[in-house]
Amino acid sequence: MTSVKQSSHFPIKWRLLDAAERVAALVWPRQLHSYTGYLLLVPALLLVFVLVIGLIYIGGYSLHELDLANYRLKESFSLTNYYTAVTSTTYRTVVLRSLYGSFLVTVITIFLAFPYAYLMVRAREAMTRKFLLISLFLPFFIGQIVRAYGWLIILGKEGLLNNIVTFFGFSPLELIYNYPAVILGLIQYMLPFAVLLLAPAITAINRDMELASESLGAHWIQTFIHIVLPMAKPGLIGSSVVVFTLTLTDFAMPEILGGGTTDFIANSIYDGFFQLSNSGLGAALSMILVTLGTAFVVVIFSIAGTGTLGFSRRSK
Amino acid sequence: MENKHPNNPSLNRRDFLTTSAMLAGGIMLGPGLAWADQKKPKEIIVRAWGGSWGDALKAGVADGFTKATGIKVRLDFTEDNEIKPKIWAAIDQGRVPPIHVNWDTTTNATISALRGVTVDLSDLSNLKGLLPLAKPVGLKGYPLVNTYAYVYVCAYRPEAFPDGPPQSWNVMLDPKFKRRVALYDDGIGFNPISVIAGGGTFKDIPDNMEPGYEFYRKLKANKPLLGEDADFTTWFQKGEIDLACTISVNARAAKQSGIDVAWTVPKEGCKVDTDGLWIPRGLPANEEYWAKEFINFALTKEAQQKWCSMLGLPPVFPGIDPPADLVGDVSYPTKPEDFEKLIRVPSKVLVENQPKWFAKFNEIFQG
Amino acid sequence: MTGTRSKSFVLWAIVWFDLILLSLPTIIIIGASFTTGDIVQFPPEGFSLKWYGKLWLLDDFKAAFFRTLYVSLICTAVSIPAGTLAAIGLARYRIHFQTSLQVYLLLPFTIPLVVSGLGMMIFFGDIRILGQLWPVGISLCIINLPFMIWAVSASVNGLDYQLENAAANCGAPPLQGFLTVTLPGVMPGVITGALLMFILAFNEFLVSLFLTDARTVTLPVSIYNSIRSVITPDLAAVSVVYIVIAFIAVLLLDKLVGLELFLKSK
Repeated sequence: MTSVKQSSHFPIKWRLLDAAERVAALVWPRQLHSYTGYLLLVPALLLVFVLVIGLIYIGGYSLHELDLANYRLKESFSLTNYYTAVTSTTYRTVVLRSLYGSFLVTVITIFLAFPYAYLMVRAREAMTRKFLLISLFLPFFIGQIVRAYGWLIILGKEGLLNNIVTFFGFSPLELIYNYPAVILGLIQYMLPFAVLLLAPAITAINRDMELASESLGAHWIQTFIHIVLPMAKPGLIGSSVVVFTLTLTDFAMPEILGGGTTDFIANSIYDGFFQLSNSGLGAALSMILVTLGTAFVVVIFSIAGTGTLGFSRRSK
Repeated sequence: MENKHPNNPSLNRRDFLTTSAMLAGGIMLGPGLAWADQKKPKEIIVRAWGGSWGDALKAGVADGFTKATGIKVRLDFTEDNEIKPKIWAAIDQGRVPPIHVNWDTTTNATISALRGVTVDLSDLSNLKGLLPLAKPVGLKGYPLVNTYAYVYVCAYRPEAFPDGPPQSWNVMLDPKFKRRVALYDDGIGFNPISVIAGGGTFKDIPDNMEPGYEFYRKLKANKPLLGEDADFTTWFQKGEIDLACTISVNARAAKQSGIDVAWTVPKEGCKVDTDGLWIPRGLPANEEYWAKEFINFALTKEAQQKWCSMLGLPPVFPGIDPPADLVGDVSYPTKPEDFEKLIRVPSKVLVENQPKWFAKFNEIFQG
Repeated sequence: MTGTRSKSFVLWAIVWFDLILLSLPTIIIIGASFTTGDIVQFPPEGFSLKWYGKLWLLDDFKAAFFRTLYVSLICTAVSIPAGTLAAIGLARYRIHFQTSLQVYLLLPFTIPLVVSGLGMMIFFGDIRILGQLWPVGISLCIINLPFMIWAVSASVNGLDYQLENAAANCGAPPLQGFLTVTLPGVMPGVITGALLMFILAFNEFLVSLFLTDARTVTLPVSIYNSIRSVITPDLAAVSVVYIVIAFIAVLLLDKLVGLELFLKSK
């Protein structure tokens, strides 16, 4: 305790820090320091564990068949729900539609997002950069429902676009309640995510590399394909993973813009639980979707690393 | 609208009737239980459908109940399908359910009754004298009470049918109406009709649904829109569709808001069904008591008259005149011969088979 | 120079397309909210603020708005420590099973929200916390946590290793180094992440749908429920409230940390 007396003329903040340091050393002695990283992860791991607990419940449901006599799941275990999910042509179509949709949305979104991120990073004028940033953030901060709702007004039979079309004497177009409308809604929703995950990777590309390539006579498209894209790989991975997984599990866009005939897996899961009151079947579909999404992430991460999504230390 | 005219004599009369009905109901309901013994909750929560449905419940039942008892009624617009697992989970886990009264389709209510999560309503005083329609079929006692009937009519835009109303549901297959036909997104209300439109008979339901599925396969080529109640109004409003199989309430609401919509019963018939009210188990005793009072109130002549005439549906209370615009209307069956044109599938058949129909419907239209 | 010109032309063409795509729904909704008619349409019928007036008079709207504010604040308050520590842990310390951990921490994205919502409804029901508001805030933190970790880790990676080493070399004990060097260094990421979490929570409807009831319903849920019964222009007015909040958040973000933070390399 003598040290406290000696240091009593130090500012209060120092003393507090010292005290905290002693408490920390007591609770977390030096021998444990190699585990500090894990300690810091504990709160996040626990939070996500709530989802795992939820999955355990759902996984449990998936192993019981529905009894139509009392609308409860039967006591006995069975794989009937998985069998139904796998053999049904409906669910096969829906799964393939979701996978194909996710692929399409990922490719188109990244195609559209790349130039945006590129120009934003390379913009010489601060004003241009700020304009692009604000235009990006504003819709990013506006929810899916509001945006889907805006599309209804634009694409509807008597919507804005069709008003223009009919004004010029053409017959109105079928722009909504179909697959393309869902894809469009999703692309618009995902664009900010993609740009924000691409931008840091593009910033990391040395501009001199591009200049060198172009001064050696390469066309800008060649430079783009051979220099910029490969160097932006971390950004491409990060944005693909986020866009793909969020699209694969999306519910709102197919629900609002799909007109009921372009369900994604999340919509089928919803119907299983709520419309059919068959929680076993809904649960089996959920487990299949989670497995597909996780498998995708695992494959990408192990082939290509985590890219800009990487929460991890910089790989050098 | 009547409330805006303080001189309207019917208002006082109605208030008098309402109050006396409430008093009578209250006294008759719990023998030996005085009102004071059942502590009034601050509010009771009634799940309802929104839009014109919710407006009708509020004006027809909830406001009157609040006036008579001082208990506020909060309407919960959670979708009927979504409240179901919430209530089930609460009861399974021994928690208090999230609502006091569920306004539900008879089919869904029957499912909850089969699951054993509903409170028996047999002791409600106002059950006496109701039409037989009020009694749920194939269930013991009153785990739910039906409150009115409704018809899934053939709603159409007269502009698209210059030669008069569609005579047969088969017009849906006319390429002229490509992308301009709408059904509920699980085929509810049309599944039995499709069998007859597809060349089958009523006796085919539920064992031979194939003619119906064949009808759907043909209809698929015409790319129908699939949605829920709100969608139909929006679609008619925005000129997206010419023809829909929807509950008459939606068509009437669209018409009342100035959209040119009419409805008919084609030669194959239309499905008639009922909605009901039920109370989940697991409420504190006093709250359950007042929830029952609410349902009892909804079955009084006054509440039935106002609620159902706003909806434009035939109530289970006998002898109530239809609203002026629906006298003799096909969507408002009152006499036995009216019901003959309509198709009523027993709840038991619906409960046991509807999931299969929904699944098949999805398979055809999502495939 | 034709190469550069065609490059700039092609890129800007795509970007302008993006800009239209991004802003069109927003602009349309703002326009539609000023209609005098009862139908949502664009161009609107006349000009009035009547739907805003109607909105303001609704007690339910105000109550739902403040509840949404509350759950969003809880979400933000929980995600700040959890996300910041996780990001620093992953970026600054040697961790085994990196890939597995990353896959695990991405579960909020790979589990569909319907499933997350149902799972949490059952779990929260079992431990008797369902029906309260704070668990809704926690759940919103959980499903968006990857965004928080991502925002902070961008900042951690931007921070020079040498600074922390220097602090340690000068004799700063570990906690002190963490509190006085690492933490201030990642502050921009924390602020960004916090705002992001707040806004995402403010918008979330699907998980909230399962965890709220009539007494605890939040704004996005009641919007979703009313969209499904009948669509009137007051909904466009609510949407504009959202747009305004988003705009304030963007300005705030720009003032506090500068939007250009997002362009930092890693």
